[in-house]
Amino acid sequence: MTVLAVSSLAKRYRRGGKPFAAVDDVSFEIGRAETLALAGPSGSGKSTIARLVLRLIEPDAGRVDFEGADFLALSGAALRARRARIQMVFQDPLAAFNPRVTVARVLDDPLRIHGIAPRAERPRRIAALLERVGLDAGLAARAIHEISGGQRQRVAIARAIATRPTLIVLDEAVSALDVSVRGQILELLLDLQRQERIAYLFISHDLGVIRAVAHRVVILDAGRIAESGDARAVIANPRSAIGKALVAATPRLTRNRP
Amino acid sequence: MNRLHRFFRTPEAIAGAIILALLIVMALAAPLLFPGDPQAIAGPTLLPPFQDWSLPLGTDRLGRDVLAELFHGARTSLAVGLAAAAAALLIGSVIGTLAGFAGGLIDEVLMRITDAFQTVPSFLLALAFVSIVGPSLSVVVAAIALGAWTGPARVARAEVLSIRERDYVAGARVIGMHPLEIAFREVLPNALPPVLALSSVIVAAAILTEAALSFLGLGDPNRVTWGGMIAEGRAVLRTAPFLSVVPGIALMLTVLGVYLAGEGVVESTAVRRSLS
Amino acid sequence: MTALLSVRDLSVGCRRDRAEAPALKGISLDVKTGERLAIIGESGSGKSTLALAIAGLLARGAKVEGLIGWKQSSLQSPHSFAPPSVLPDISPTRGEISSSAAGSPHATPAIGESGRDSSISPQVGEMSGRTEGGAVERRPFHPRDNPLLGRDIGFVFQDPSSSLDPVMPIGKQIAEVVHTHLGLSWPDSFAQAKTVLDRVRLPDPEAVLHVYPHQLSGGQKQRVAIAAAIAAGPKLLIADEATSALDTIVQAEIVALIRRLVAEDGMTLLFISHDIALAATLADRVAVLRHGELVELGETDQILNAPRHAYTRALLDAHLGLDAEPLLDRQGASA
Repeated sequence: MTVLAVSSLAKRYRRGGKPFAAVDDVSFEIGRAETLALAGPSGSGKSTIARLVLRLIEPDAGRVDFEGADFLALSGAALRARRARIQMVFQDPLAAFNPRVTVARVLDDPLRIHGIAPRAERPRRIAALLERVGLDAGLAARAIHEISGGQRQRVAIARAIATRPTLIVLDEAVSALDVSVRGQILELLLDLQRQERIAYLFISHDLGVIRAVAHRVVILDAGRIAESGDARAVIANPRSAIGKALVAATPRLTRNRP
Repeated sequence: MNRLHRFFRTPEAIAGAIILALLIVMALAAPLLFPGDPQAIAGPTLLPPFQDWSLPLGTDRLGRDVLAELFHGARTSLAVGLAAAAAALLIGSVIGTLAGFAGGLIDEVLMRITDAFQTVPSFLLALAFVSIVGPSLSVVVAAIALGAWTGPARVARAEVLSIRERDYVAGARVIGMHPLEIAFREVLPNALPPVLALSSVIVAAAILTEAALSFLGLGDPNRVTWGGMIAEGRAVLRTAPFLSVVPGIALMLTVLGVYLAGEGVVESTAVRRSLS
Repeated sequence: MTALLSVRDLSVGCRRDRAEAPALKGISLDVKTGERLAIIGESGSGKSTLALAIAGLLARGAKVEGLIGWKQSSLQSPHSFAPPSVLPDISPTRGEISSSAAGSPHATPAIGESGRDSSISPQVGEMSGRTEGGAVERRPFHPRDNPLLGRDIGFVFQDPSSSLDPVMPIGKQIAEVVHTHLGLSWPDSFAQAKTVLDRVRLPDPEAVLHVYPHQLSGGQKQRVAIAAAIAAGPKLLIADEATSALDTIVQAEIVALIRRLVAEDGMTLLFISHDIALAATLADRVAVLRHGELVELGETDQILNAPRHAYTRALLDAHLGLDAEPLLDRQGASA
């Protein structure tokens, strides 16, 4: 079953007075509980696509169908209600939260806005969400700036799953984390995917991470799709010039394994 | 606690705090020390200061107690200054936030209105407003706020424009938060610090404007004001200069106190920022 | 190989919320002349603090103990020691600078240290943890300054957008380094700037001389920052997460550029990174830092194939390379 279908998506900006295509004729689909990775160098349009899919910015052309309905046709209250089903986790877990709030407030917002639980029940739901992402329920009372980067990214994931979405856009969600924390967060994401059947649009510049968690990959270059296919097959044998360059540029650990 | 400690590190801040504290004590103590109407006749007319210790600062042309008037005048000055500044900051930050967050046509309209207010000298605006509506305490507050909200509005808008692009605002949209809730709950509180830094300047200016309005006879006639006292003394400036000098010094010290304390607050937050 | 610089028992404390938070705890290591040494660690490991301490760029107020000793002949101009009178706050028996002495830019001979610090040859001039510096522009130039940032040490920061002056043309920024440290005339300094821009492979260096940083891409800006760092011909190049803000392809290009420049000029390289795989592609030796302590230091080959410390092993295992077993399979999940 297709969760998200994007077709002929386009977004142009002006840079130095000249128009340029940030995203040009991009089409892809994501199925239920599937991870599709978007890879490419900076400026290839990865993050623009994420923001277009979430309707944080509006496309110039193309279609976005979410759960079989035209997502671009929605506006106002209907759009806000639909947002419960499609969530996002940002790269910088500190910038992603209002600096003056507590963990409880972060998780309370989606529950309140979408009427998921009455006020009296919310503290219990918040505790359950924290435990679901491997955090202590006692963390709820802490300010968001007091907790570590890894904990913050877990809170971001807890906020994203609070409304039981079918799709989460992960925009370089593990790039800013230390490698030891990164592994745990990726395991958590995979575990959630298996349990809740969530699909991921996984944006990353790191082919190593993509290969570890994604089913399929789309490689972008200057706003266009250079190639796409099974993640491991594409990375093992890239055909496009940009794909080859990305694979060649990825640092390798040359260890003499026993 | 730590912040207070840093605030009291500079001598200017300490001086400002002492002046403001004295002023607040004066305002609060006025009805206790000088119960009854400060505008009632208390003794002989034009009694110079330090002659009669029941009337330490003497009396004016009508025989009213200058010290009692001074204390009650502090109430008016402080009340008008704080209320007008609070109103200006409130109006300014709401309009600035709406303009910056909504952008487009709403921004254009609100900012052109701000321009219009800014091009008219704020004192003329206050003068005209009080002359039309009639002098009373709340009208004076409104008149002063009318000329003072544009500064906070511009600062708030500039701050909101930069905060609007942050990830957490995008995050609030993604979870389906209403735009007005985003503007006033997520964005505005984070845009406030530089706006609040303006408050000492606005309070000081409001106190001066109130005094000027009263001096011109446009203050609330039922209340003692320092501006009114100075105007009262003007007619006998040669024979009894203390009638104008005493409230004049009080006014000057008040404005100085507000500035110094405001400077102390800015300094202490700046230190905090450089440390973090 | 002789040591270009020796770090002995270096501890750095940074004040945070009134509490003294140790950023480095008793680090001792030698940087050999001409080697490429990588310093790796996760956030909070102190790897950047170490780089800043060596460059003399630590913030005012940082508490520094221990020694950073330099091989005298590595510095470009003859040195005489600053008279002791300018350094009243430094104890003669222990190179310790408290924040009160942080303003002193001068190096000091660590009197009475020779016995404890025998690994350094007698002619070595020692510098007692200079706690601030780098602010070369902010302070009058002092010819007796021991290793001088810009002249003896080139420093490349993570974010070129904030290390370059946004309102000064690129050529001026680089020529200034040359003019200040090599004492060349302005026309010669600009000619030299053009030469280094050519060396960092910027297309059309003549044109780049006149552009401002915002007109360049992130990768180009980092090339300019590297050009400025090597313009005065330093013996030591410090790259502090210099490629972390760049995408994979540009990162590989910048690493190749650093490798080439270091080889051509015979520079010593200190490469600070969080990425063990990237560091290993470049470095002769790798130092692993964790929580301000030196966990392990060894030849790159030994670190990769026979790590002695469990933490090094954990870092290696956490690396997700193109040959690692995908997590998807480990969990048994499928689409």
